[in-house]
Amino acid sequence: MAITGLGPHGERAVPADQVRVSDGDAEAARNRRFSVAVVLHTTASDWAKQELAGIVTTLGRYGAAVVEVVDCDFDIDRQVSELLRLASEPVEAVVSIPIGSSRAADAHRAIPAAGKKLLLLDNAPTGMLPGKDYVSVISTDNFGLGQIGAELLAPHVPQGGKIGVLAYGVDFFATHEREIAFRKWMAAHRPDLSLVRGKFADVSQAKAASAGLLQANPDLSGLFAVWDVPATGAVAAIRDAGKAIPVTTVDLGNDVAADLAGGGLIKGIAAQLPYDQGVAAGIATVLGLLERQPPPWIALPGFSVTASNVVEAYQVVWRAPAPTALLRARNPRTNMT
Amino acid sequence: MDQGSTAAGEIAKPRRTAGRPRASESAHGSLATLLNLVRTGAATTRQELESQSELGRAVVADRLATLLRLGLIEEGELGPAIGGRAPRHVRFRPRMGMILVAVLDHSSLAVGVSDLSGGLLAEHHEAVELAGGPEPVVQRLATLFAWMLEEHGSAAGIWGVGLAVPGAVEKPDGQRLFAPALTAFQNWDGFPFVERLATAVGAPVWVRSGVQMMTMGELKSGSGIGLTDMIFVKLGRSIGAGVISEGALHRGAHGAAGMVGHTFIDGGTLEGAAGSDVLEREARLAAESGRSAYLAEVLERAGEVSVTDAGHGAQLGDAFCIDLLGRCGRAVGEVLAPLANLLNPSLIVLGGKVAETGDILLAAVREAVYRQAHPVVTRDLRILRSQMGGSAGLVGAAQVVAESLFDARFLQGWITLGSPREHPEFKEFLEQATVETSIRPARPRPPARMPG
Repeated sequence: MAITGLGPHGERAVPADQVRVSDGDAEAARNRRFSVAVVLHTTASDWAKQELAGIVTTLGRYGAAVVEVVDCDFDIDRQVSELLRLASEPVEAVVSIPIGSSRAADAHRAIPAAGKKLLLLDNAPTGMLPGKDYVSVISTDNFGLGQIGAELLAPHVPQGGKIGVLAYGVDFFATHEREIAFRKWMAAHRPDLSLVRGKFADVSQAKAASAGLLQANPDLSGLFAVWDVPATGAVAAIRDAGKAIPVTTVDLGNDVAADLAGGGLIKGIAAQLPYDQGVAAGIATVLGLLERQPPPWIALPGFSVTASNVVEAYQVVWRAPAPTALLRARNPRTNMT
Repeated sequence: MDQGSTAAGEIAKPRRTAGRPRASESAHGSLATLLNLVRTGAATTRQELESQSELGRAVVADRLATLLRLGLIEEGELGPAIGGRAPRHVRFRPRMGMILVAVLDHSSLAVGVSDLSGGLLAEHHEAVELAGGPEPVVQRLATLFAWMLEEHGSAAGIWGVGLAVPGAVEKPDGQRLFAPALTAFQNWDGFPFVERLATAVGAPVWVRSGVQMMTMGELKSGSGIGLTDMIFVKLGRSIGAGVISEGALHRGAHGAAGMVGHTFIDGGTLEGAAGSDVLEREARLAAESGRSAYLAEVLERAGEVSVTDAGHGAQLGDAFCIDLLGRCGRAVGEVLAPLANLLNPSLIVLGGKVAETGDILLAAVREAVYRQAHPVVTRDLRILRSQMGGSAGLVGAAQVVAESLFDARFLQGWITLGSPREHPEFKEFLEQATVETSIRPARPRPPARMPG
């Protein structure tokens, strides 16, 4: 699938598979034995585990040690204090996923100010510039993910219907791009539909936000949640309300995958490849440390998952066999044996 | 407000009568003076305001009370006492209004939102298809603006819009005082794009060429911070320059200053030698003929080759790519050298996708400029690559609007009304634009020719 979105500063994406380390640079990196720290919003999610695995594996291949992994537990203040601490630690590069755009900028700037390389996952805080403040942003094509979410939802929504967008109420580039793209696709291809919006600032509020949206819009006929965890909250709220509204979302989490495979409310998922993204981040880190100026916007395409390909997609995304529930749904006859 | 500005709702010079100024006129003037002293941080206590404005204590106290009542300033913390009571600082309230900005290019559009300080709060870039004409684009801008405001807006509303378009933007003539003819997209001339945008948003729109906006962005937030003389050169499909001379953007008699891409060099134009379309064509030929092994591999894999690919190839040591970008850089440098001789800038910044290809092009530009310009001109001249990417135009547009809103002459027209949306001449423009956009067919006219 093509990469449709532009980077945080309008950059055209360079596909991740085109960014490579030459043999000479690989040798040079191994001789330098770099030390790298990784700062994640959480280390608990499947996405984060795969992302980290990709980073660690790749850096290991090029002789770089991941000396610290910071779990910010979605706490901006914690990310700020950890980055300020890392600025004075003996690491040569930091790979970070900024939580919140504007507040995180100054703390992230402390890393290049201390002479270290900064690599960003998913987004760049507003005002931060490649080359000056950071090396590269490595991200899935979030704009494309939003388009996929719209394409997958549209066939399930009747003419003249009303769609809810369950949006993240935090200044976050990746989820903003998904929402903008979802809206743009719907406006272009389903101008008959109207859109309403519910917002949550914390994933724990996603179910309540969905319930509020349903209450205010009893005629809702479809819903898009900007990632899978709030989508499970939305599904729960829809079921509580005794309704059957189709839902699409982003990220192939276990819960939404099982719902999709089992013919539940989830009708489609725009999936990311977090391990591959981690690999690309590892390569960009090595290139940055060698002063090779990797592209400022390195992107991976998202891909479309429906009930018909959820097992294969699960294997590709999570690099593991699909759980039994997914396999049963793929081949219902196995239930009878 | 400078007469040459090309704003929708932009105001002509105030009509001054001979003799003594009226009391209200001078009150407006002193309010504007004090607000700008506070806004720019030049003076933040009553004592400082009195000494810098040369206004009396009672006048300063009266005007500050008015500005406080209008919500344009607020009282801040106490400053250090110097032999008496500690002075209380006053400060500007940048969240009183919001600024929306947009940059249109041949294949992409970008939008952003800022407060009145001109610093961007958020930005978004996306690909755009212009073949459908101006109507879908103006609708798309309105949609994105509405979304941006929902995410980042304040109750105060929009005070101004900055719009950057490719190519030169004519200064308004007698018939089109308030909105420029947008000749950037040739078949758009005749479509009331700026009027449509102004009526959709309900605020004045300031329009400049993309390269002029990028120049302002680079001056205010990029490598040009604190400088008074610099040149910004955008190297893309088209090639243009923005000139900052003695701290101000030089726009020329018709607003078309900086069209360096049309300079003749080696029997053709600079755009014909170094524009991205030309480079991509050469790169593709090299890929097809096998002259560049790297580009041949890219073409086979991706089905196309871009300037960015040529930059990667050069960084990886591909001889053809190195030669291509070296030739391109020398051509750009040879055109910039006389410009440097003429203007004596302290900085030349290269932006655009051709400039982003890397150090080989930059080195070739430097070599040509340093070799061909006068030694006094190049003694302290720096030539750098922009780090701002597509954000430069948005940042510059926000700065242009912030400066225009608080330009002394424009400010006097709205300051006592509390918002530039209430400026009498803007309201008059809005009424005309509303009538015009409702009766005028949204059908493009044949293009007008730009001077130069």
